[in-house]
Amino acid sequence: MPEEYTALVGALQDTEIPFAEYGWKTRPEGTYGVVGLDMEAGSLAGDMGKQDRAFDVKVDVFFRKLADREGIAGTVEEALGACLGAAWELNSLQYETETGMFHIEWIGKVTGTITAPEPQETQESGDA
Amino acid sequence: MAMTMRTEGLEEAEAMLSRLGESAGAVAAYGLYDGAGIMADAINAQAAAIRTEGFHYAALPGVTMRLPSPEEKAALMSAGAGIAKFEKNGGEVGTSVGFGNAGYAEVNGKTKPVPQIANAINSGTSFMKAQPFFRRGVNSGRGAAVDAIGKAIEAKCDEIIKQSGG
Repeated sequence: MPEEYTALVGALQDTEIPFAEYGWKTRPEGTYGVVGLDMEAGSLAGDMGKQDRAFDVKVDVFFRKLADREGIAGTVEEALGACLGAAWELNSLQYETETGMFHIEWIGKVTGTITAPEPQETQESGDA
Repeated sequence: MAMTMRTEGLEEAEAMLSRLGESAGAVAAYGLYDGAGIMADAINAQAAAIRTEGFHYAALPGVTMRLPSPEEKAALMSAGAGIAKFEKNGGEVGTSVGFGNAGYAEVNGKTKPVPQIANAINSGTSFMKAQPFFRRGVNSGRGAAVDAIGKAIEAKCDEIIKQSGG
């Protein structure tokens, strides 16, 4: 995973807002957040391969009280700024009439590589 | 010793350059129109790929998530991503591509603004999985659009040069 992404997930999970990666199995009541690597965006190709890879990171926060919005936005944006610098933006603010929840969404860009795990040395069965 | 140099045809070139300067906005708009069209097509192609209720994700305990209804998708598809009126500011031309002025659509017996539907599908909600078709379209169309703008501007410039030359 790109280092900036893992740093961001760590920073968000250290905040007071409960954050899950990609989704919740059982959602917390009230405020909760979701963070995930979204899609590839703007990678450069060269040398018969991908050279600099860039990905979109999506951060969503759902909450019930409008009064909470500034605290929540400030907390999340502090983490985004610390981990991604300026490579993020507030993408949308929405209100869901069906559930009465507010939804803020940020999109960030991270660069880095996705590497395959190194093959683990397996113990050969049987006596040598 | 002084030498006088003269370049023939400089006046023509000067005339051509000044002509380009006058019509720079028009040339840019010509290119932008091509690029904006490609962008809108790319977004509409991704909108066509939105998954609706025909597809189901494995239900997770405690969470009921749904996908957009076929009606919501049809509203997006029939409206389609549009190109806004071009705004000229000297040699600079700008437009926006999207659902900003897409009007209203009837969904499940209610009249809803199409931009709101697009936003909900694009960003996801607490009960609907996000399908960022818009960003996918923009990301996939960006390269082609930039190429098309460059080519169209080059072609238009050539045309102007030929006109002023001939």
